[in-house]
Amino acid sequence: MADPMNVVGRPTPRLDALERVTGQARYSPDIRLPGMLYARILRSPHPHALIRAIDFAAALELDGVVAVLTHENCDIEWASGDRANPRMLFNNPVRYYGDAVAAVAATDRHTAEAAAQLIAVDYDTLPFVLDAEEALEPGAVPVQPGGNLAPPFGALAGGGAAVPGPAVYERGDVEAGLAESDIVIEDHYVSKHHNNAQMEPRTAVAQWESGKLTVWTPTQGITNCRDDIAEAFGLPYEQVRVICEYMGGGFGNKNQCQDTDLIAAELARRTERPVKLELTRKEDFLSIHGRWPTSQYYRVGAKRDGTLHAIELTGYSGMGPHIKSSGDIAGIDFYQCPNVRKTVHTVHTNVTTSANYRAPSYPQGVFGIASVLDAICHEIDMDPVEFHLRNATRQYRDATPYTSYGLIDCIEQGAEAFDWSGRRRPAAVDAGPIRRGTGMAIGAFTARLGLSNAMLRLDDAGTLWLHAGVTDIGTGAKTTLAMIAAEAMEMDLDRVEVVWGDTDRSPYSVGESGSRTTSHTGFAIVEAAEDLKRQLDERGPPGPGEELVAEASPNPTLDGEQRYSFAAHFVELEVDTELGGVHLTKYVAAHDSGRIVNPLTATSQVKGGVIQGIGMALHEELLYDRNTGIPVNPGYYGARIATHLDTVPIDVVFVDTEDAHGPWGAKSIGESTIIPVVGAIANAIFNATGRRIKELPIGRDRVIGAMS
Amino acid sequence: MTGITRRSFLGRSSAGIAATATLPALTAGPQEKAAAQQSGPAPRTRIELTVNGESHALEVEDRWTLVEVLRDHLELTGTRVGCDRGECGACTVLLDGKNIYACSYLAVWADGKAVETVEGLARNGVLDPLQQAFIEHDAPQCGFCTSGQLMSAKALLNEGAEVTEQSVREALVGNICRCSNFLNYQAAVLAASRGA
Repeated sequence: MADPMNVVGRPTPRLDALERVTGQARYSPDIRLPGMLYARILRSPHPHALIRAIDFAAALELDGVVAVLTHENCDIEWASGDRANPRMLFNNPVRYYGDAVAAVAATDRHTAEAAAQLIAVDYDTLPFVLDAEEALEPGAVPVQPGGNLAPPFGALAGGGAAVPGPAVYERGDVEAGLAESDIVIEDHYVSKHHNNAQMEPRTAVAQWESGKLTVWTPTQGITNCRDDIAEAFGLPYEQVRVICEYMGGGFGNKNQCQDTDLIAAELARRTERPVKLELTRKEDFLSIHGRWPTSQYYRVGAKRDGTLHAIELTGYSGMGPHIKSSGDIAGIDFYQCPNVRKTVHTVHTNVTTSANYRAPSYPQGVFGIASVLDAICHEIDMDPVEFHLRNATRQYRDATPYTSYGLIDCIEQGAEAFDWSGRRRPAAVDAGPIRRGTGMAIGAFTARLGLSNAMLRLDDAGTLWLHAGVTDIGTGAKTTLAMIAAEAMEMDLDRVEVVWGDTDRSPYSVGESGSRTTSHTGFAIVEAAEDLKRQLDERGPPGPGEELVAEASPNPTLDGEQRYSFAAHFVELEVDTELGGVHLTKYVAAHDSGRIVNPLTATSQVKGGVIQGIGMALHEELLYDRNTGIPVNPGYYGARIATHLDTVPIDVVFVDTEDAHGPWGAKSIGESTIIPVVGAIANAIFNATGRRIKELPIGRDRVIGAMS
Repeated sequence: MTGITRRSFLGRSSAGIAATATLPALTAGPQEKAAAQQSGPAPRTRIELTVNGESHALEVEDRWTLVEVLRDHLELTGTRVGCDRGECGACTVLLDGKNIYACSYLAVWADGKAVETVEGLARNGVLDPLQQAFIEHDAPQCGFCTSGQLMSAKALLNEGAEVTEQSVREALVGNICRCSNFLNYQAAVLAASRGA
């Protein structure tokens, strides 16, 4: 058991909980500046079209309209909007229903809305393609000039030669491995696009003062957002300030800067007035991104004794017109296996862009591989827990040691908390219409280390000021980091003041994505605190008017090791075989995230990730009309986002591990929480019904179809 | 909110902490285009309404929603707009004691009515028991849906009926939380209803 600590490890309410429950927390939509204009965007009603002409004279004639931007009068590039192709704020041709065509600034939002509708756009509609595999067929309409197959993301991100082609990973000899296997399962799994659907819609407020641009915007990374905006406008970084005091969720779709930031800034520059650009919920669903849909073809082989021997995955990820993220299909790395080949194609299509949503490439990949492995267990009559204890990864890709490892503990302690041995039954044993089943799946997510920065100031009143470039997007990062600082300085938490969410006041941060904040920024805080304590020893506490200041910018690396957080999830559910409903009755989530800094907020992260996963498994999907290329349900109700009625009691188990590379032994938590969920639920539905459903979401229609 | 500071609150909440630790439109139709082309100012109406006990006489555009008036004209930004189409519940306020979506309620309809918003929950420097319970149960994550969850919970408690796990879920079903912290919200409302 880890040594008890003074602050770290104690359940602690958020430092800013009071602001969050009284309405005082100030989010970007709450910003109002004197003389501020309101902006609205006109969007394409076609999935693919060439714009012949745009006439906005009537819009400009409307009282209160100040400026209109289109692709003809604005050629600013949105660089972070596409890694593979040039992406402008306004593009011609438009490549998806919802592509921005024009933006209007007016004295109030109703006038801006009315003016947008007065813009006449002459479209020459083009053929379109919605599905990734169809987009690769000969003769498919090209979505981008270079064709529909994108280069592997690793080449794009690495700045290397970006030649179109799949991303390939290989070890061993997969064909020989399959031939040597006693049992081979060959199958096809399909996952769908679903939206991050964070509660706060995108709003950007931009103001220029004496040549300096300030943007209030909901962003997961104030530093990278600031850098992106500066580069788009050709400004030095210090001439751009990004402020995000409170942020209403993102789950990966508020990384980097968004086109909204740039459009607001450009309208503000031209009108010489502050501009607030607000997206509607429908626009937010369509114009940013959700999780990429995948098509996964597996061939998996195992020995009769349950030893996994070969995995082949050929996958297709539909990315929409633009490549912002990897498009990977992950999950097979959770298993030991001598022969592996993974080939993933990232493909341009005429639908809404796909990119990061919590553990971006994992839950859909785990749905596939966990289902196939469960099928192997069923074929050879092996308990899935036993199978996982035998085959779960011990070294990253069977070659690289982990810095700390609690996956087996997660499986064993999770199974015990769930009473797996008591609850698990053979498949499809219930005779009535309501059938009960259990399922499990595992997960892992990188707990990377990397460059970060923190500054500590100890003032003459004994207050410790922690400057960190975080926003606290809902994870509790502000509190976690203050706890790490208090622990490091051996102070009470209430002596720590956090300065955050403002690039002019807080130092570089990698951004709150990739479950990196605790490890990255926390590490910097511990280092800065060591310096501050040394100064205290040498000089004593600061006298009147004095301060002690310490800053650290560590960039820790791993020497021949991989650093991961792990999880194993267990679910029991009931399937209504007549009406198709799935009702969860028990859920256990066991996690190895190293030492837990704040058990209160970490537990909330797990519960939230699990329920997001339940929504993904059972009902969420952005649907397109195949005849028109128009999405039919972009909104909370239509896309069937989870509600208070979709909950199940969730037991959270944190296994006791410590990681020598993390602050106080901590690793990461946020993204690992959603990874096993869909796979575990799909396997439980098989256990209940004896039918394996291979396409998400597993809604009533698919359950009834599988039973008939 | 005068009288409550973050520090003084956190100091008082330690008992609660210990308890918690043991708990496991993209395109316009012809009508919209015609409307947009009509010249002249939008029609306005004078209304009087009470917000958090304070009466206001306002001249509002007929097309303004209640949430627009609250946020943009009365500067009560604690009520959030998540979808502006009656799907998410972030804008929930009480109208004569009942919870409504303020994004889907015209300001002119509120003439003569009493509105309560999240800013009115704490009285005389004391948090509402719901707010206290929300903090102790870590109910807000990003916090954007929190005001709406609070007001729907307040409406439930206002009814005075027995509060159960199921009645909490049903009362809050119109309030989405994408951080999906539903379980903590439900536990907090139950605790507040029991005076815990």
